[in-house]
Amino acid sequence: MLLREVSYARASSVEQAVQLLSAHDDARALAGGQTLINVMKARAAAPDVLVDLTDLQELRGIELGSDGTVVIGAMTTYSDLIGSAEARARPILGEVCEQIADVQVRNRGTIGGNVCSNDPTNHLPPLLVAVGATMTIVGQDGARTVPAEEFFLGVYMTAAGPGELLTKISVPAGKTDGFASVSIGKDGTCIVNVAASLENGAPRLAIGCVDAVPVVVLPGSAEEDAVRGAVRDAALDPPSDVHATADFRRHLAEVLALRAVAEAARRG
Amino acid sequence: MEVVARKTIEVEVNGESYEREVEARRLLIHLIRDDLDLTGSHIGCDTGNCGACSVLVDGVLVKSCMMLAIQADGTKIETVEGLARDGELTALQQAFSDHHALQCGYCTPGMLMSATALLRVNKHPSEPEIRKAIQGNICRCTGYVNIVEAVKAAAE
Amino acid sequence: MTETTVSPERALVVEEGGEAQRGFIGTNVPRKEDKRLVQGEGVFFDDVKRHEMGFVHFVRSPYAHARIKSVDVAKALELDGVYGTLTGDEVAILTDPFFELSTPPGARIKDYALAVGKVRHVGDPVAAVVARTRELARDAAELVEVEYEPLPLILDAEEALKDDVILHEDAASNTVWSGVFDWGDFDAALSEADHVVRIERLHFDRFSSTPLECSGCVVEFNRGTGQWTIHGNHQMPGIGAIWMAPALRVGIDKLRFVSQDIGGGFGNKITLHPQYTACCLLARKLNRPVQWTEWRTDQHTANTHGNERTFLDVTVPVKADGTMLGFSVRALDDCGAFPRYEPLGCIIWAQVTPGCYRWRNVRVDFTQVCTNKSPVAPNRGYSRMQHLWLTERIVDIVSHELGLDPIEVRKKNYVKHEEFPYETPNGCIYDSGDYARCLDIALDLIGYSSLEEKRRDAESRGKLFGIGIGSTLDSGTNNFGQSMILNPELQFSGNNEVATVKLDIFGEVVVTLGTVPQGQGHETTSAQVVADILGCTPDDINVRAGHDTYWNSTAGFSGTYASQFAVTGLGAVKGAADKLAVEMKQLAAAVFGCSPDDIELAESQARIKANPEAALPFMALGAILNANNAGLPPELDVTLNVRHVYRPPFEKPDLERKYGNLTLTYATQIHACALEIDPETGVYEIVDYAAVDDCGNRIHPQIVEGQVHGATAHALGAATHEIFTYDEEGNLLTPNFYDYHVPHALDMPPIKTGFIESASPFTPLGAKGMGEGGGAGIHAVCAALQDALGRRGEGPIVWRSCNPSQGVWELLQSPEKTRKLVNVESR
Repeated sequence: MLLREVSYARASSVEQAVQLLSAHDDARALAGGQTLINVMKARAAAPDVLVDLTDLQELRGIELGSDGTVVIGAMTTYSDLIGSAEARARPILGEVCEQIADVQVRNRGTIGGNVCSNDPTNHLPPLLVAVGATMTIVGQDGARTVPAEEFFLGVYMTAAGPGELLTKISVPAGKTDGFASVSIGKDGTCIVNVAASLENGAPRLAIGCVDAVPVVVLPGSAEEDAVRGAVRDAALDPPSDVHATADFRRHLAEVLALRAVAEAARRG
Repeated sequence: MEVVARKTIEVEVNGESYEREVEARRLLIHLIRDDLDLTGSHIGCDTGNCGACSVLVDGVLVKSCMMLAIQADGTKIETVEGLARDGELTALQQAFSDHHALQCGYCTPGMLMSATALLRVNKHPSEPEIRKAIQGNICRCTGYVNIVEAVKAAAE
Repeated sequence: MTETTVSPERALVVEEGGEAQRGFIGTNVPRKEDKRLVQGEGVFFDDVKRHEMGFVHFVRSPYAHARIKSVDVAKALELDGVYGTLTGDEVAILTDPFFELSTPPGARIKDYALAVGKVRHVGDPVAAVVARTRELARDAAELVEVEYEPLPLILDAEEALKDDVILHEDAASNTVWSGVFDWGDFDAALSEADHVVRIERLHFDRFSSTPLECSGCVVEFNRGTGQWTIHGNHQMPGIGAIWMAPALRVGIDKLRFVSQDIGGGFGNKITLHPQYTACCLLARKLNRPVQWTEWRTDQHTANTHGNERTFLDVTVPVKADGTMLGFSVRALDDCGAFPRYEPLGCIIWAQVTPGCYRWRNVRVDFTQVCTNKSPVAPNRGYSRMQHLWLTERIVDIVSHELGLDPIEVRKKNYVKHEEFPYETPNGCIYDSGDYARCLDIALDLIGYSSLEEKRRDAESRGKLFGIGIGSTLDSGTNNFGQSMILNPELQFSGNNEVATVKLDIFGEVVVTLGTVPQGQGHETTSAQVVADILGCTPDDINVRAGHDTYWNSTAGFSGTYASQFAVTGLGAVKGAADKLAVEMKQLAAAVFGCSPDDIELAESQARIKANPEAALPFMALGAILNANNAGLPPELDVTLNVRHVYRPPFEKPDLERKYGNLTLTYATQIHACALEIDPETGVYEIVDYAAVDDCGNRIHPQIVEGQVHGATAHALGAATHEIFTYDEEGNLLTPNFYDYHVPHALDMPPIKTGFIESASPFTPLGAKGMGEGGGAGIHAVCAALQDALGRRGEGPIVWRSCNPSQGVWELLQSPEKTRKLVNVESR
């Protein structure tokens, strides 16, 4: 419950944030704190320096590109996104954010934080992989983009490395999406979640909670047999924990994949 | 901006200004309870799940156990102690009592802040909206039945 | 003057549909506690501050079972801001082990404030550090170096029985207590049966009511007088002192327990004495107040859990018409690493031996063992809940196996309304009730008549539908003599509670209680009782908030536990108020020169019945006796400051036959649950829920209903998610609210409530204690799942109390695994 000693700096620009993160070996970016502060309370992680991104207005807000792309600033909170008219260009985003934790967490937790913490049970990594998002990362050498599918590298590990900041997430416009999950309690932590996106009748699935990173599954069609077969062919090897065994997770992945695809098809 | 291990911060809580030196690692809830002696906000867990520490920071409902005190520098905070004016309870506080929405009273301050935040933006919430608004506040005494009734009554 | 949240002109809310009430008892007066609590002005222990107090952090064992080879606090002491430490070696020298309730071998267990020589569960406190700030204490704790030698561990009660791995060498066995209870003639019942249903195994899972406020204290030591003041949240300080005083080698009066507001207890704040003793030693050693706050993870890993109980070889003789003749069972209770309040759980279930049923032949072979898990405490429903769950599972499983309607079987087997007071096979006297009527009300509330329509609708959506009943009893007001059945050497029997009521010099009525409320509204209900007796209003009554052992209103059993306040607490209040009323009339009579029989108390005055104009307001009475008493008749024996000890009418039980009345009252709760299961995921949703209660005369209907809501929420949490599971190394896998999911507002189904009032013939107010509830929600959900999952002779058996989605899915996937737990022999 009580943190180890830490030092703190509030960045006033993205460049300064990147500088601070690069200058200190064990520096962590502090976004909404809804994950990081808990981790520090448990003393599971104890960074030397926290770089607070609160003042970085350039990382907040959602813009709608002329081609309908939704560009989300990494420091956008879940509540901001839920309330955003621009985000409705891809309705699944707000709908999933509504299911995350509770209103207090949604008021401070950020899209970027959810993505960069990459807890295997998070909602947004599989969702962003399914909808084909692109991440923009800024480091000392400048900015680069990484497709969502390549952004998530391992448990709590992403392509935004030490000294780098995720600045925005670009999501193409679209409406034929679905998301299905089984959680611990209503709107709780996910046991298994599946995000599905249909493009020209071909589903793109991302299964969460079953591996270190979202597992991409590409059934040939939205037909039940095709989806089941593709999930089985993925030969999932999920973890067992107090909430679910590997067998149960494997089973749920299949069931939820079908439901997510069905939901996406219904919106088509 | 310089990297600091401690800082003298200024916060306004319930309309009153305070200045305190805090370690960077100090949680906002501990600033409020231990350093400012405002013990109405409570701590019920250590993973940010229970909501007993809920307060409003610049009008936004947050769990103060998941914010550092140093992050609250320069903000306006509202806690349960700031709801009643000169001993005059708000309609919500009165409704909580009328409807027996509290038993031990430990979750109550956080519950009141969450309900207050809801009623500021939604004057006539439905029951599902009320339940969603207090989802982040755990109560082990009431089963939430009377809490929901109280918020409904206060909204009318 | 006193305050409530309501101004005097505001109308009181009177229950609709009830009879017109003459007084305040039976009405929903505004709660006195509310005004401070809704303003955040309650005083919980962590709100108490003392100048220069040191913050305590316990160093806890990461091992479930290990020898302590060394504890080195040197580095911790070097940290700037650290005031001092305490280790097990010191504790072993400065204190004697806490006394044990059991017979040998359990009697030989040595239990200290800190682990001495060995740790026996993950989280077992090994040392304590005190520092200037909370954070420093936490930092310093990491610098304490403990060398452990890990030992093999035991996490399973059946394994523990074998005594291959022993937790307590002094006991040389893991068995805390063992005994056989045999009433009626079970063998004859067996031979009479038309069917014998055998259930190989049922398991009541480990969980707890996890009060939102964690345990803790602020302890001050007075060097001059040797007296400790403990501001804490111990909910039964009477027994806390009985453990602590001998251990600290001081008289009991040297321990003063003070609390004002407590954030829930539910039985989990009864065995705080080890940690409190450590804090007492630290306060004395360091000559400064010390403060200990338990964090959530500490509460889950190292405070207390509810009893975990396995029921083996359940045998039920049944007649062809569905009449059950009794049952036999082997019960194995897992009390974790230290018994403490145990083995009382080994007898307390016997308060409700046949559950709600007219079963006359019961045989229970009961054993309790230690394992390397967190110790248990009397968690809400204590021991009766586990046993009543067994009786309800029996009724449902037998009904299903024999193709009978569980509702009809219940009605056939329930104790009948006209049979009350009903003596159970072991001599407990169920005071009053009407179970069949409560059941009918519950069924009506969930629309039982349209059951088939609901089932068809659910099935059309691909869901499995089930309805289940949970009947339970909340037996309240213990006869502590039942402890002698476990251990004839114990000198505990009966029960008591104390209250004082006085009239102050300005006519203020002041009440002190011996109880330790944690949200049950004691201030309010006490005021209702006193107001009705003294002829004034609850606003005129000042009930001191909380508990203080120095108020002289405590006795050996004082506290708030075991569903007894409405009987013992209010019994004490009533007794004191009655006596005070007599004194007030005597005083008024002396002043007026008439007989006390001519005086009535009404409208805050003592007045002559025949001539109400001749009246003395309370202020006059108080002033005359306290300040203006010259000329009063010398024989007038009046103090206007009354202390009353309520003692329930109990006999010592017959130890030989294990027979006697163990509790004074038996409140009823009958719940009905309708749920839908998604068979593909095992996720289920309660779509309709009704809770009907009967606690005799309701002093404050809203408070009663609030307790019913809360007990239901606890039960539903325990039924669906809440379970303390361990890994093979003895680490608790649900050590906090992230993993241990408790119901929030979106999880709770709509709850309909109903009630009847069957007054108790045995209590001062006809009321019964009812705060615990009895876990009816668990029984009802299990029954509804059973109904949805399987029909006669087929389908899985719901054999565990906690059934999360994975559990339900597995039951569906492999019904044969649990099917084989049940065997029916038909003759």
